[in-house]
Amino acid sequence: MECKTIEDLLSPYLEDELTQEERQSMEEHLRSCQSCAELLSFMEEARVSLATLPELEISEDLTKKLYDLPQKKKKFSLVFDFLLRPSLQPVMAAATVLLVVVSFYMFHPNRSAIDRALERQLHIGYSKVEKLYAEAESITHSLNEYKDNLLVSIKKLKPFRGNEDNQSKT
Amino acid sequence: MLVNAYSKRVFNLAYQFAGSYEEAEDLTQDIFLKLYNSITKYDFEKNFTAWLLTLARNHLIDQYRKTKWEKKSRDEFDEHYLSAGINSSPEESVLSQESKKIVWEGFKYLSSEIRMAVILRDIQGKKYEEIAEIMELPLGTVKSRVNRGRLQLAKILKEKKEKGNGM
Repeated sequence: MECKTIEDLLSPYLEDELTQEERQSMEEHLRSCQSCAELLSFMEEARVSLATLPELEISEDLTKKLYDLPQKKKKFSLVFDFLLRPSLQPVMAAATVLLVVVSFYMFHPNRSAIDRALERQLHIGYSKVEKLYAEAESITHSLNEYKDNLLVSIKKLKPFRGNEDNQSKT
Repeated sequence: MLVNAYSKRVFNLAYQFAGSYEEAEDLTQDIFLKLYNSITKYDFEKNFTAWLLTLARNHLIDQYRKTKWEKKSRDEFDEHYLSAGINSSPEESVLSQESKKIVWEGFKYLSSEIRMAVILRDIQGKKYEEIAEIMELPLGTVKSRVNRGRLQLAKILKEKKEKGNGM
């Protein structure tokens, strides 16, 4: 057997998993190869060292933290569930759009140009509203004129005038 | 209760793997948080301990890959193990103490998968079949990794002891 093969068989040898023939040829090699024999001895030493490593106790602080974990998780999931309710989705979508628009405005390199454009648009909008208001006033005025004319015309009609004649006779 | 039954085991696995006490405490909390989040996925026909250790192993190896602990040094062996009663047996020789120390520090030279296989086999005393289940690997691969890990530790032990003896 070669040393490389022996290396692969060290654990099976220590754990008694080799066949009788494998074991015999391995022991034969170990008797003549000091390096492999030493490696086997150190492997056994490492194995024993690990097997006798004591189990550490956990700190009270960690135990407390572990017990608190489900409550933390519950609080977190309650908030999360509330935020993910379907009824809140339109609000969330609107908030997202608003946030995008505000971010776009806040971080735009040419913010003053946006300010100017917004001011211009506001001015145009204000002028349009003023114009509409003036038009509405003129329409109201015309309607009042029509109403007065109509009333005058109605009063001039015969049946209404007749009453007036009778009253004047008596 | 899960904490009572498994916290010590998970913490010790994390400490043996990471080598840092503080890191192991954080990792234990992460593993328990993952456990609470995925407990509904547990198949009752399977072994719970193996399922939990698989979850722990996956988390530990993921974190190892992210943070590359192998570059960090491990805690001094005496720092926590000395107070854990490692000297309780008066017959225990100084030499075996020295071996434990070397092997403990030698873990940092082992890759994550090999380190985990050796910890499960030689410290936790698991059967190869259980390790194969926990690590989701074929039995032959597990045996080969355990042997490679032991071989590395044996070589480290040999080198350090020979240096110590001035050979």
